[in-house]
Amino acid sequence: MGKKGWFLVIAMLLVLTTACSGADGGGNSGASADGKVKLRIAWWGSDTRHEYTQKVIDLYKQKNPNVTIDVEYASFDDYWKKLAPQAAANQLPDIVQMDISYISQYAKNGQLEDMAPYLNQKIQVADVNENVLKTGIIAGKQYGIPTGVNVLGFQYDPALLKKAGIDKIPDDWTWDQYKELALKAASNKVYFDSSMAADIFFHYYLRTHGKSLYNTEGTGLGYDDDKLFVDFFGGLAELIKKGATPTPEVMNQTKGILEESDIVKGTGIGIWQWSNQYVGLQQVVNRPMALAPMFGPNMEKGVYMQPTMYWAVASRSQVKDEAAKFIDFWMNDVEANKLIKGERGVPISAKIKEAVAPELSEATKQVFEFVASMEPKASPMSPPPPVGSPEVIATLTDYIEQVNFGQMTPEDAAVKFRADANTILANNKQ
Amino acid sequence: MSLRNHQSLKANMTGYAFISPFIVGFLAFTLIPMFISLYLSFTSYNLFTPPKWIGLGNFEKMFTGDPKYWNSIRVTFTYVLVGVPLRLIFALFVAMILNTKSRMVGTYRTMYYLPSIIGGSVAVSIMWRNIFSNEGIVNSLLSALGATPVKWFGDPNASLMMLITLSVWQFGSSMLIFLAGLKNIPHEMYEASSVDGATPVRKFFSITLPLLSPIILFNLIMQTISAFMTFVPAYVISKGEGGPMDGTMLHSLYLFRQAFMFSNMGYAAAMAWVMLIMIAILTAILFITSKFWVFYEAEKGR
Repeated sequence: MGKKGWFLVIAMLLVLTTACSGADGGGNSGASADGKVKLRIAWWGSDTRHEYTQKVIDLYKQKNPNVTIDVEYASFDDYWKKLAPQAAANQLPDIVQMDISYISQYAKNGQLEDMAPYLNQKIQVADVNENVLKTGIIAGKQYGIPTGVNVLGFQYDPALLKKAGIDKIPDDWTWDQYKELALKAASNKVYFDSSMAADIFFHYYLRTHGKSLYNTEGTGLGYDDDKLFVDFFGGLAELIKKGATPTPEVMNQTKGILEESDIVKGTGIGIWQWSNQYVGLQQVVNRPMALAPMFGPNMEKGVYMQPTMYWAVASRSQVKDEAAKFIDFWMNDVEANKLIKGERGVPISAKIKEAVAPELSEATKQVFEFVASMEPKASPMSPPPPVGSPEVIATLTDYIEQVNFGQMTPEDAAVKFRADANTILANNKQ
Repeated sequence: MSLRNHQSLKANMTGYAFISPFIVGFLAFTLIPMFISLYLSFTSYNLFTPPKWIGLGNFEKMFTGDPKYWNSIRVTFTYVLVGVPLRLIFALFVAMILNTKSRMVGTYRTMYYLPSIIGGSVAVSIMWRNIFSNEGIVNSLLSALGATPVKWFGDPNASLMMLITLSVWQFGSSMLIFLAGLKNIPHEMYEASSVDGATPVRKFFSITLPLLSPIILFNLIMQTISAFMTFVPAYVISKGEGGPMDGTMLHSLYLFRQAFMFSNMGYAAAMAWVMLIMIAILTAILFITSKFWVFYEAEKGR
């Protein structure tokens, strides 16, 4: 009896320990003698994305029968909650999908591999625009390979624009012209837009003035004239007050319910956002829509190609060659890209862009054309947001909310934001 | 002696083996993590680089340098101090109705308890969001009655009120406990008081409430603790942002943001420990004051 008891305890402990080491071994075994390779890959996204990504993976396995691929996927929020502990335990998947707001953090903490040696070896990048490829460089190293690119713009309903008394969005429109048009729409009882995401568009505005939101080292803000802050956010708050943009009460109320948003209901002309969000929006709006470039002056200086997301390889991976090969397959295989259909942004390879063009839906075609028209004008991207940026963005969003609710002046917000942001970013100083 | 010890150890071994999953689980997932979190609360830790000891730094920041922390405390206390009494009053009210003799009473009890079974879930919160949305049933009712619809998620005060109504609506578990308590009150007492000519109101305050007071204390403590830890509804309804204007930024939600969005694990651990101490103090106060208002029959009513 007693012996049996001990046996049970020991057996249980053994199961526990082997279960743990099993997880360890699986990740590190890599290519074994018989040429079998095991890859782990993780991404976030919607159900559509999970489906076609699995199809691309199946296609890869079919062409490389020696490879098995374990997949892990989640929604955006859950993804990062899962990835952080994996990184802390040195258990990152071999290939991880990276977001621009997180890549600095993972790269600077030594979790990702510099992919520069793989370029034009395992990963062919001959027909990729250099500006685009450079967006994966953090602190001088190629930590990410962009899956595709996005560009900011105004996505709108041309018929509604006419109804508001505006014939068309002028070519090379300016910040002042934008405000005038918005007020004109307001006088015709139509919202011009649904305001702008504070961090993204303020960053754009700063770029048109030759500045950026963060300094190059990521240790502080990248502008020192608070007047820029006051002009931009003061201008937007003014538009809210005059009815060109819904009030923050309304925005909060409808947040996350696309069906209740003004553009879908036909009470708002357009929306400022990334080009890859156009296809989804077009489906819900279900009326002819169009894309317009950002406002100037100096639109060329402000606008940039942003990677929709990156593929990155974990530095602890034992199968980096195979991981690189998979990324190359993703980037350069025509068959694979006919499944992807530009869902992770407009493909960065010029050849692939051409090859998949006939396969696209009308809305996706519009996006491809819009991105193609902006690509020659765009300036290089600023460095990816530094460590601490999620907190900086949350702080900015908080202050702007108070400004929009009329509880704080833009001047006060500018000063307070500067103080808070610099405190948070100061931690990045070595 | 040693032989007997050895034998009893052997005899107990099977028992130990059977409870070992719990012991291992308790150590690995409760006790050890608790001590690690206590350690982390004195460090600056971002999950990637090793924790850095900063002594009382986190607590200093919490109490002197973080207005958002105080806002979250204020919101949480409003939520608890308004929500818990309302919920208990409502639970008692329903329990008394369901305590009457009626044929359908079983069905009613089930129906009223249902929200609590699915309570706290994401699905309920999403439903709640839809009920209070622009075109939701609440606003449709309001406009049908000629009132102006309220921006439930747009107005900082309204959104907290909406969260509180959600918590009041999930009154089922305390209602069941009240129901059990009501059933324990001897019927003769009511009959005797009827003979003496007591009104229903008098009966309620002189018989029901005093005899129910131990149950009220139990419910009060359990509900207070669980209210302090509310997270899911605030997270879902405000889309994780605690807005508008931090009006629904409950302490647990702010803690979550610090830990998983800003990677300030050490700070979040410190917040968790301060909250634990606050709940402990509040519970202690409830226990101490209970001497003055809880009536135990065993004491023969001083």
